[in-house]
Amino acid sequence: MAPRQIWTLYIHEIRSALRERSILIGSILIPLVMYPALLWAGFAGVSFVQGQAERLTSQVAVHGLPVTHRALVDSIESNGRTVVIEWDDDPAAAREEVARGSLDLLVEFRTVADGAAALDENFQVAIYYNGAQDRSRGARSRVESAIETYRRNWIDTARRDLGIPNPVWADFAMARSDVATVEESTRFLLAMIVPFLTLIMVALAAFYPAIDATAGERERSTWETLMTLAVPRSHVATAKYLYVATFGAMGGLLNLAALTLSLRWILQPLAGADAQELAQGGLPLETLPIIAVGTALLGLFVAAGMLVFAVFARNFKEGQSMITPFYLVVILPAIFVQSPDIEFSVGLALLPVVNVALLLREAIMGSVPLLPGLLTLASMAVCVAVAVGFAQWVMRNEEVLLGSSQGGLWSFLKRRIGQGRAAA
Amino acid sequence: MSNARRGTTNGAPVRTEGLTKVFYDENRGEVRAVDRVDLTCRQGEILGLLGANGAGKTTTLRMLSTVLQPTSGRAWVMGHEVRDQPERVRASLGFYSASTALYPKITPRETLRFFARMNRYPARQVDERVEELVRRFRIQDYADTRVEKLSSGMKQKVSIARTVVHDPPVLIFDEPTVALDVLNAIELRQFIAQLRGEGKAILFSTHIMSEAEQLCDRIAIIHHGEILATGTLDELREATGLHYLEEIFVHYAQVDDPAQAAEEQLR
Repeated sequence: MAPRQIWTLYIHEIRSALRERSILIGSILIPLVMYPALLWAGFAGVSFVQGQAERLTSQVAVHGLPVTHRALVDSIESNGRTVVIEWDDDPAAAREEVARGSLDLLVEFRTVADGAAALDENFQVAIYYNGAQDRSRGARSRVESAIETYRRNWIDTARRDLGIPNPVWADFAMARSDVATVEESTRFLLAMIVPFLTLIMVALAAFYPAIDATAGERERSTWETLMTLAVPRSHVATAKYLYVATFGAMGGLLNLAALTLSLRWILQPLAGADAQELAQGGLPLETLPIIAVGTALLGLFVAAGMLVFAVFARNFKEGQSMITPFYLVVILPAIFVQSPDIEFSVGLALLPVVNVALLLREAIMGSVPLLPGLLTLASMAVCVAVAVGFAQWVMRNEEVLLGSSQGGLWSFLKRRIGQGRAAA
Repeated sequence: MSNARRGTTNGAPVRTEGLTKVFYDENRGEVRAVDRVDLTCRQGEILGLLGANGAGKTTTLRMLSTVLQPTSGRAWVMGHEVRDQPERVRASLGFYSASTALYPKITPRETLRFFARMNRYPARQVDERVEELVRRFRIQDYADTRVEKLSSGMKQKVSIARTVVHDPPVLIFDEPTVALDVLNAIELRQFIAQLRGEGKAILFSTHIMSEAEQLCDRIAIIHHGEILATGTLDELREATGLHYLEEIFVHYAQVDDPAQAAEEQLR
């Protein structure tokens, strides 16, 4: 009897919710369409801005350039996006221009005192740039690169003139090579993005259903109608909880599905022709069950937490203000997973929400450490049970049921503690 | 129903014994909203609960419908005690009030089906019962339209059908006409009278004297949470020597200055 009643109540909640526009938008449409679209727009925007910055011509002042190194000017101007201005006045004036932004860079050459350098005509360069200006930072990067190339060639010529063989010189050479495959690089990128988006999506998708299931009932004056049903109150609470959890988990999973399907399209602005190859290294199929379980656990936890806060609200506005702090606390762990240095340790596996975010990150990277993985499942199961138990306890309270409770969860707990002390 | 339970309720579908509800208010301290109320409602009878706003009518009915738990005292509905068997109590009654609205996003037909199932109407007969009520209340034309799109008169019909869909032997109407226009109020009163004819035990709370005079078989006058008198209109007239119910109410409530009493009520 109990499962059938809970099922009927659950279906009733779901049916009403699917006919509510705000819930449809927040829990289905946004996870499915908006975030993939926003990501694409974000990447396209970054790519566009970079392209615009690269097309800009930099004004670079050069002061004290030795006559023997005049070829360096050609080297700096060779990229076609840098104009060199010979600055014969006081360099302090040029530094001020850079600070004001009317000049992008000042390159100040300083001759080395006689006998202090191994090579004649050696020089030192001081570059003044404006770190607050994108154009100035870009010019610095290009000019540094040009000077480095010139310096290397000039030293190489001097080496030959001095009769030093190249292999001896080359002993100091440094080479670098990326050993990661395209697939691994894509997974790394996804591991940084997906847990963050999943957390936001689950919390967002559960947000409106949690308010609808509690404050919404009061606002529509259907709460008392519901309380007169011939079923235990715990069934009503369970059905509401399952409804909110379903929407939370569904939001997360829909977002994952949308991301997977639109990966190539999202990466296009960043990777161009390589997007197809990058997209092929997307979410590994074997990790999808782990990701699904993690998302479901998040949905179950977030639903219980949100119901505990929302049950005190008498209308949608109160519901929003009561849930928002919890929403922010839930998405805060996203910061953790953004740092690849944070290890999925046993300690972090016991921390709710953070553990699931890290579990998702590891799953996408292709390897979930067994002990932290199992501890995450156990820890989240315990947290969900405690949160659901607490939500049921709060919802059984008469003043909460009737919406006559003043304030939110903290005021309620304070009163309960006060009453307990008075009774003692 | 067991013989023991029949004994407890003396065969009456609804009975209360010393029913009391005390609320705690941060500003006012303990508030005794209902104080030792003894009531009995028989089969085929409309018992009116007559009192001013804040007299304790709604709290009494909420305790009977198990929405609230009594602080002390007991109450039985069809032999089921409200604290011990709340689900059975709720299955035995239909509750209608201004605060029991309908779900706006579902249709009348879905509403009736949902409430019949949840209130333990035999599963196989649910559809038949729903169609019977759709015909009886003449809601065929909008039975599949979402409630949010219905007029208030249409909603009222659906709401009454929702209250009786599981065919409960006890019905509670808490100030049912308070938000209705004259015609809808008349229609509702006619329907309640019909239900009495079908043998239902009906508790009807109101602060409108004429409504109580017209509809109720017996009237219980409640004031400041206490039942001051219970009887038929004739019995109350005889006991007080007064003719009009309004005068009888003022007599029992010992209200010398109605304006001052209303002011106190607001406080």
